[in-house]
Amino acid sequence: MTNYSDVQPLRVLTLPFIILNKIPLCMKLTVLLLFLSIGLTHATSSYGQSTTLSLEVNNATVQDVLDKIESQSDFHFFYNNKQINTKRVVSMKKTKENVFTILNELFNGTDVSYQVMDKNIILSNIRKTEKQEVQQTGNKISGVVTDASGEPIIGANVFEKGSPMNGTITDIDGKFSIAVPVNGSLVVSYIGYETQTVAVADKKNFKVVLKEDSEVIGEVVVVGYGTQKKANLTGAVASVDLGKTLESRPVADVGRGLQGSVPGLSVVIPSGEVGSDPVMKIRGQIGSIKGSSNPLILLDNVEIPSIQMVNPDDIESISVLKDAASSSIYGAKAAFGVILITTKKGAKTESISVQYSNNFSWQKVAKDINLAGIDALEYSLLAAERVGSSMAGAFWKVDRTSFEKSKEWLSKYNGKIGSNDPMLYGRDWYVDGSYKMGVRLYDAYDYMVDEWTPSQNHNLSLNGKSGKVSYNIGLGYLGQSGMLKQAKKDDFTRYNASVKLSSEINKYITVRGGILFSDRIKQYPYATNSTTADPWLYVYRWGPLSPFGTEDGEALRSPASEIASSNTAKQEYSYTNVNVGATFTITKDWTVDADYTHANQEYIWNRPGTRFSARNAWVGAIAKTDESGNPVYVNNEGAEVASGTAGSMPAYELPYTMYTGLGSNPDHIYRRSENSKQGTFNMFTTYNLKLNDIHSFKVMAGINRVTYKLQYNWSQKTELFDINNPQFDLANGTQTAGGGTEWESQLGYFGRINYILKDKYLFEANLRYDGSSKFPKELKWRTFPSFSAGWIVSNESFMEGLNPTLSTLKLRGSWGTIGDQTVSNTLYVPTMTSMNTTWLNGDTRYQAYKTPNAVDANITWQDIENLNIGADFRFLNDKLGVTYDWYERSTKNMIVPGLEVPYTFGGDEPEGNYGELRTRGWEVAVDFNHRFKNGLGINLMATLSDATSVITGYPEAAAKTVTNASAYYKGLQIGDIYGYRTDRLYQKDDFEYDSNGSLIPITVDGYSVYKLKGENPSYQGFLQNSSNFKFGPGDVKFTDLNGDGKINNGSAVVGDSGDMEVIGNSTPRYQYGLRLGVDYKGIDFSVFFQGVGKRDIWGDGFLAIAGYNSSDGAMPQTFAGDFWKEDRTEAFYPRAYNNAGSAKSNNMQVQSRYMLDMSYFRVKNITVGYSLPKDIIKKAYLSNARIYMSVENFFTFDNLRDLPIDPESVSGYSMFNSSNYNSGRTGVGSPLFKSLSVGAQLTF
Amino acid sequence: MKTNIKIKNSISALVLVMLLILPGCSDDVLDRSQLNSPDDENYWTQESNLRLYANEFYTEFFVGYNATWGVDYTPIRGFTFNDDVVSSNVQELFENSVPNTRGTSTNTVPGWLSEYSGPNLYFGWIRKSNLMLDRMDNKMTGILTPEAYNHWSSVAKFFRALDYCRLVSVFGDVQYYDKLVETSDTEELYKDRTPRNEVMDAVYNDFKTVLATMRATDGAQYLNKYVAAGFISRAMLFEGTWQKYHKGDTERAKKFLEFSAEAAEIVMNSGKYKIDGDFRSLFGSEDLSSNKECILFRHYSAGQTITHHIASYCNLTEGQTYAANLSLVKSFICNDGNVWQNSSVEKANSFSIADLVKTRDPRFEATFWDQPRSQSASLLYTVKFIDRVGPTFAEKGNYPAKYSSSTNTNDAPVIRYAEVLLNWIEAKAELATLGGAAVTQADIDKSINSIRNRTLAPEAIAKGVVKTPAMSLTALPNDPSRDADVPALIWEIRRERRMELYYEYSRLLDIKRWKKIDYMNGTTNPDLLKGIWVNIKSEIPTLLTAGRVGKLQVQKADGTVVVYNGSNEDDLVGYYLPEGVKNRDAFTDRVYMAPVGKNQIDLFKSRGFTLTQTTGWE
Repeated sequence: MTNYSDVQPLRVLTLPFIILNKIPLCMKLTVLLLFLSIGLTHATSSYGQSTTLSLEVNNATVQDVLDKIESQSDFHFFYNNKQINTKRVVSMKKTKENVFTILNELFNGTDVSYQVMDKNIILSNIRKTEKQEVQQTGNKISGVVTDASGEPIIGANVFEKGSPMNGTITDIDGKFSIAVPVNGSLVVSYIGYETQTVAVADKKNFKVVLKEDSEVIGEVVVVGYGTQKKANLTGAVASVDLGKTLESRPVADVGRGLQGSVPGLSVVIPSGEVGSDPVMKIRGQIGSIKGSSNPLILLDNVEIPSIQMVNPDDIESISVLKDAASSSIYGAKAAFGVILITTKKGAKTESISVQYSNNFSWQKVAKDINLAGIDALEYSLLAAERVGSSMAGAFWKVDRTSFEKSKEWLSKYNGKIGSNDPMLYGRDWYVDGSYKMGVRLYDAYDYMVDEWTPSQNHNLSLNGKSGKVSYNIGLGYLGQSGMLKQAKKDDFTRYNASVKLSSEINKYITVRGGILFSDRIKQYPYATNSTTADPWLYVYRWGPLSPFGTEDGEALRSPASEIASSNTAKQEYSYTNVNVGATFTITKDWTVDADYTHANQEYIWNRPGTRFSARNAWVGAIAKTDESGNPVYVNNEGAEVASGTAGSMPAYELPYTMYTGLGSNPDHIYRRSENSKQGTFNMFTTYNLKLNDIHSFKVMAGINRVTYKLQYNWSQKTELFDINNPQFDLANGTQTAGGGTEWESQLGYFGRINYILKDKYLFEANLRYDGSSKFPKELKWRTFPSFSAGWIVSNESFMEGLNPTLSTLKLRGSWGTIGDQTVSNTLYVPTMTSMNTTWLNGDTRYQAYKTPNAVDANITWQDIENLNIGADFRFLNDKLGVTYDWYERSTKNMIVPGLEVPYTFGGDEPEGNYGELRTRGWEVAVDFNHRFKNGLGINLMATLSDATSVITGYPEAAAKTVTNASAYYKGLQIGDIYGYRTDRLYQKDDFEYDSNGSLIPITVDGYSVYKLKGENPSYQGFLQNSSNFKFGPGDVKFTDLNGDGKINNGSAVVGDSGDMEVIGNSTPRYQYGLRLGVDYKGIDFSVFFQGVGKRDIWGDGFLAIAGYNSSDGAMPQTFAGDFWKEDRTEAFYPRAYNNAGSAKSNNMQVQSRYMLDMSYFRVKNITVGYSLPKDIIKKAYLSNARIYMSVENFFTFDNLRDLPIDPESVSGYSMFNSSNYNSGRTGVGSPLFKSLSVGAQLTF
Repeated sequence: MKTNIKIKNSISALVLVMLLILPGCSDDVLDRSQLNSPDDENYWTQESNLRLYANEFYTEFFVGYNATWGVDYTPIRGFTFNDDVVSSNVQELFENSVPNTRGTSTNTVPGWLSEYSGPNLYFGWIRKSNLMLDRMDNKMTGILTPEAYNHWSSVAKFFRALDYCRLVSVFGDVQYYDKLVETSDTEELYKDRTPRNEVMDAVYNDFKTVLATMRATDGAQYLNKYVAAGFISRAMLFEGTWQKYHKGDTERAKKFLEFSAEAAEIVMNSGKYKIDGDFRSLFGSEDLSSNKECILFRHYSAGQTITHHIASYCNLTEGQTYAANLSLVKSFICNDGNVWQNSSVEKANSFSIADLVKTRDPRFEATFWDQPRSQSASLLYTVKFIDRVGPTFAEKGNYPAKYSSSTNTNDAPVIRYAEVLLNWIEAKAELATLGGAAVTQADIDKSINSIRNRTLAPEAIAKGVVKTPAMSLTALPNDPSRDADVPALIWEIRRERRMELYYEYSRLLDIKRWKKIDYMNGTTNPDLLKGIWVNIKSEIPTLLTAGRVGKLQVQKADGTVVVYNGSNEDDLVGYYLPEGVKNRDAFTDRVYMAPVGKNQIDLFKSRGFTLTQTTGWE
């Protein structure tokens, strides 16, 4: 027998060297990190070496000595007192000796041997065991344990069935030998593999092939308060293949990883802001107008505030519950589906396994940000000239003269003057009168965005079972970099730690406890407290003349300089979740589970401001003088020359100023702290009953109680003493503070019955009686039933003939209702909102209370009714599977504004349960797995889903306004966009001219328009929204849809919308995912595609609307290089015009031609991995080692004409402001990134 | 047997656990009321809560310079639609079609209509007042003293009446409510527009109550009787003149004009107010609390981050896209008390800035920068709303925060004594035409002449600015450009008002109530589209750039337009014409009143009611 105390140090010492010798150089960094994990292993296993004990006994029993050792240390003795004589009397005195010395002396001269396994010490009787072997069997057998691919499994447990003490583990070659009676059986187990029992019979040599456990897990799906065999599921539940979906991917969180993997789960990543939550919806984008429509995210049956806090490595399973039949057991918060995450518990069999994985990735913007240079100047200038102005620009002007100079500059200096070269007067700009004229062209990207910023991810976990105690310990680290080039810090870090312990006290009671900790830290440059105009907005606002870099060694005011001098803001979410629970096994078939979880989240947002000083590029220039005050002269190269030199000019410079006013944004220190506490108590009991082999029942009943309280406060103090060290005590200005508190609770009783008849007919009924604190007393309680049924057609005898071609066929149906209470709890109370007015008496600010809103006293729950019909097919011996679901979800009693009241009421109509919304959709999932005889394995997974929502009920007479995207009315398909149909661009010969060749203004319907050729042409005067805009050559010609000879929107209501009609829909449709994987001899390759088939938006802002604000100047090259000019009449975009910040006027009316097609196809991930051969890694005591390379988001195909807008972006959405971020402008935020990564996964 | 005992034990343990836990699951856990906000049921408990409730009115009705980047009801940035100003290119149009939506139901975006200088169709402030009155009667019985009851009901009535005045000025007839309406009161909600006269009679009665019962003082920066009286003099003058010029209703005109004068006299006879300090200090001071001319002012504070951006738009660097035109300039009286056509002041007929500063009423110098500025559409740059220090930073390129961005902190007069005096004298003069007592020289001395006698700033004196002599009833200027239908005295009172209140709230509303909207037409009023007289080459040569060839233009006295061709700079002497300046499209008298939205009319129709469209917009 091996003495473990000898082996462990050896393993520790040799492993790194083995790896260093055998593993390619590229892995060296990983190896460094390996030391850490090995050190950890060492620390625990060498406990016996490092722990010293002192004891003195006289005439004590062996039992006494063992007790003393246990009390002094963490050692635990295991022995059979039939074999070991513990009554023997001994005397000994030891001071600071290790346990081996003591045990050697204690058992010296006896038959007792000991074996130290970590802190467990097993005592056995050598002679008796040997004798037993001979007596019982005389049957020594040996064998080898391998996995499916024939690789040996090291450290697998092999023991005699019924005598766990008679066991061994496989050696480095997977071999074992053991003595077992001929009539006995061997049990072979290993973590991650299915346990196998083999009868010994008269065989001497065994080859045991263990099947991977994942296939076992795949058959059991976690459902609400329990598990269910996949074969017996009747609701719409999708379980996620974790290995394929999340492993080897440089994704920060589970949500991002799930994109495209679960049909019906829509995941959108609207920006590249690190640390932001993905937007997840189950089955359609909207469940109700007032509620959140968000899925409930549960971690071990407890709601968590963000999916980001879960370490993907801690997850054992993810189920997505999509219909009411499967989610209603969770009650009112689960109205829009559940993402049910369970974490890894301890191992089921005696084992210990250490796993380590890592990932190193490098990120770059996913889509080129191609902003226009010289062409943008031309656009701005033409737009200005069109209305009779001679120059354009805000702080930096362009006119004809300067435009010519810019062109010269470009031909002379392009490529020669780099982004680091300072700005020079005379060469790069000049002053004309009071205006600063820009000449040099700057590309904001060079100054703002960093390329290939690094990120890394490490996970270490320990999983095992020892005696009656099983445990799982997980540690995770994620360090992700943002891409802001100038930032002192722009990153996101997450630390995860989790411990799960479970102990079987006796046959009846198993207790468990766990702690889960997650710390998320986002750091970013704090340049402003504004979320409607942050530095990104300015990057996409000011044109190419707006300078970056330096002048005379001093930074120029720009978004980049502000970011560079910003202090670092920090958002930290610290989440701790403590769980205690127990399972009472009353009989084999009757269990009771009770769990209480207390979760505490601390959120601290620290915003240390600063004051900005720079060469102020936003104000007028000043004459440049030398030290003695004489004017400085320069030439057109920017070089200083003597006055009077030919071509010399007096130089100007920008004033260096502290342009942030004392105490004004962001000259302050701000801190918000928020604490939320959530107590969740779940108790449920499950009873299984099987009557002969025909009827099988499962009854479950339970209670769920959630209490939640949140408190926050914030304070701010202005006028920092030291802008480099913003502190509350180091500030002098105004102090402001605020805070608030809210609380809510839910209480629910639930029950479920499953009945299976003859393994063919499946029935399930759920009932939940739910109460919510959000409603008035008499409305608090509601009952929500749901039912589902299934028929396993393939188990019918008449289907046998089709097997194995059609190996499984199951038809499913479900119906259920859930109440939704995600609405605000102020809906039924005429609350008086307090406000801080801006009316002052001295420095005292007057407070005020607003008029109470009118409320509907009868407001009640929204009811979500679900109907689901599905079918599961499996073909070719279950290798190919197809799952199809069709569903309809109706939101009845939807809370919407009541019957519209006229303006005379003086307020909004009270909200009540007057609406109804219906979502219909379908989902298909296909999977295929096959391994060829030569070892080549292929797998495929595909998902496709679609959903549309229609308002089927709404108070009559609500204005069915077509020009307001947020107007709701009966019959509206959510997301519909009304607009004009674009015919084409007007050309010169569409118009009539007077004798001077000028367009002829005439008045039609009260609008002054230019006279068109032809009989009864359609005039567009109604669409002229600016006093200096008249449709002319190069402008948009709209289609006269209703043929009334004029283009207008009628009354802009449904039924009288003039020439507007539905031209698109902003709902993402046909969301799909496709994964293909192959593996062969340790090499694996997978590619994952994901996309959206259809989505339109009418954009907003500089990047989406041609001529949005051409005076400000920035625009994509897409517009600037393709707008109508006299010499470019075939252009796509209309003639230059400055819409002065409007996204829906003049040429850019909402219309078909310039709608943004947000559909896309993305090569989401490509991974190549290599699992090192076992015979190499076994020397390092590794049971599994895989290295891989992966690219994420690398190729995107869209229809956005190269606009720098990511097709997933949502206008106005970011983690800082979800409705009006950067004033709602499209694509104006932190860009989405792609990444390239390498990593390793190791199991010991 | 042993096993059975264990089962029993664990079941009893379980029962015990459940007994311990279940009480915790009682219904009580669901009782979680609002923690932060009071509600309508429990709010109305003490007088101070009425004050807090009424505080919401202040910034809506006493806008001053608004806050941060807000432009509604502000000088320079908001009140830009009138005959005082011109812009480049086409002049802003009057509304030319009936909008689908005209109004709002939420108090977050009430909005204002710049082309009417008034509010959008929004009844939230009316509802707020009516709700306050309702709660005082129904929920505060026994809580308020009679004095407090009278005061706070007069506060509610004041804001209700004032808002009706604003709504009437924009829409004319408008539904009148003097009590809280619930959503179920369909007949009330859907009644057609109440005739203007009915509304204004109710307003008249409310204002009468206000002046009878409102506290004379109620703490600093709070509404009191004198503030109310100031606003009442303004509102009643509007209605009185409207009745006279639009309706020809002498009786009603008298009723309102008399009330206007009466309200003004309450202020004048209080002895608390006087013309105080120099003109510019009224608008550019950091603290107006000691200025006796301000009956109410709005205070700003950087420390409280309550700041505005109006001074920034007077700092010489920010562009003034709407700038004073020649019509306004010509209306300034010369400092011998005569109109420019027959003034004896030297160079009185010159319209170059340097001369205007010296020859015109001191308010010209206090209002405008003394050199042409290219940042102004007309070259005449308004500096009225900044102190005299701010503009000096223009050449340094380095403004302190209070002169730039939206971090300005100069206080704004909300209602000032000079306006009350002008309201009073105009009401008196109008009443005289309707059979009232004639205006006396004493009346003129008390009003116009006390304003003309305002202190001059030392900087102005240094430039040679002198006070305009007192106006004499016996020697009124003989203005050749006076409208034939306006008596000379009233003409001069209107002139005084135009000089005094330039870019404050009143000009568009004034020409509307006088029925003079035609002043907005550049064809009949060509000075509307011109700037000051300028010699480009000598006064502002920086305009002579290649980029402006073909765009820079002046108009000679004889009407010929000279356009810069790159070499004719010597010929560029004349009235400056803003780049591309064009008259606005033609308009008719319907623009006096705003239309209501089509959707609202449809809503009424769908419920079987009628909402009548404003005359001229059907």
